[in-house]
Amino acid sequence: MTDVAQGSDEHTDLDLITRWKAGDQRAATQLVERHADAIARFASSLGARGDAQEVVQDTFVRAFASLDSFRGESSLRTWLFTIARRLLLDRRRSERRRGDEVEVQDGDAITEYDALDAVVAEETKKRMHAAVARLSKTQREVFMLRVGEGLSYKEIAEVASTTEGAARVHYHNAMRAIKEFLDD
Amino acid sequence: MTDCPNAEVRDLLPDLLHDRLDEATRAMVEAHVDGCAECREELALLRGMSGVLRYAPQLDLAAISAAIPTYRAPMKRSWVGWRTAAAITLMVVGGSSVAVLRRNVSPIPDSVALPPSIVASESAAVRGDSTVAAPSPVTTGTPATVASPAVAPAPDRPAAEVTAPVRAGRELALSGGSINELSDRQLAMLLKEIESMDAVPTTDVENNAIAPIAPRRSTP
Repeated sequence: MTDVAQGSDEHTDLDLITRWKAGDQRAATQLVERHADAIARFASSLGARGDAQEVVQDTFVRAFASLDSFRGESSLRTWLFTIARRLLLDRRRSERRRGDEVEVQDGDAITEYDALDAVVAEETKKRMHAAVARLSKTQREVFMLRVGEGLSYKEIAEVASTTEGAARVHYHNAMRAIKEFLDD
Repeated sequence: MTDCPNAEVRDLLPDLLHDRLDEATRAMVEAHVDGCAECREELALLRGMSGVLRYAPQLDLAAISAAIPTYRAPMKRSWVGWRTAAAITLMVVGGSSVAVLRRNVSPIPDSVALPPSIVASESAAVRGDSTVAAPSPVTTGTPATVASPAVAPAPDRPAAEVTAPVRAGRELALSGGSINELSDRQLAMLLKEIESMDAVPTTDVENNAIAPIAPRRSTP
């Protein structure tokens, strides 16, 4: 299996990191442009609604502040997903501590996607949204990373702090649930 | 919508969708999909889901880029620096230890109770015995602060044998004589006496043994 999706641009992520370390701030801008949307999608799938911009920005700031610890064993995007996920979990914990519970429950997730209705007009796509929204939180996260972002099970395991086997099971359960919903 | 029984190929369909397969695997999967209606249907579903999932909220990328700090290389720690730090640490710790040790060493008291052998020679000198050098006259008037050892005569020894050292020891202690006033011979004897002392632990293990706990009686 090869990762050609992120290496097809003129410069690889590692090249851009090297340039940024050499003082080229435009390299950082290129990395942001390359990965910001994917992080925003992932954050949205985890329940970040109005604060996606903030989550994405915090993810990049934290990532660039600790880029020396990025060993390149996984792709930069996988590493960014991991940081974004931790940020979101921290936010949820602090929100829970403050008492303003905003965590998206599994059954409430449909409302999260209702805002997209204007963008997704076709009935089929609406039903696909509804199918994804009915997944459990873990299934949705794994399905999003596997189908939406094309991550391998190994990368998903790294991001979601689980095992490859568990990620595979979550994906196939999600796939079965989506098919069942669409067949009804 | 039915599932293809080929779980291996089904597992690779998302990778085919995202073009993440090597050439050989890709050829194998595509060949299977061409002849498998279930896999074609699932691939189409995945393609549609991927499009749906790729909706991203509007982001202000310029603001995100502007928030990224400039790179700051971590401080390099050379071996010279480590050595210097280690040397300074050793000097500080060593100096502190010496200071603490010096503070804890108790000064020799002005008046000490000498062991019986020293006391005996002192007593002989007072009596005018020519074999023992006479001590220098006591000049300090400091009262004795350390009591002379209470030496009780052993039951199998005659009282007269013990009386002289005891008396001499008391005289020396009560006189407030300084250890600086002892003669070389007396100091040598004192050191010899100290060296001959046994380092015996002061606690008796047997006496400190914990008594077994008696079983608790239940009160009727």
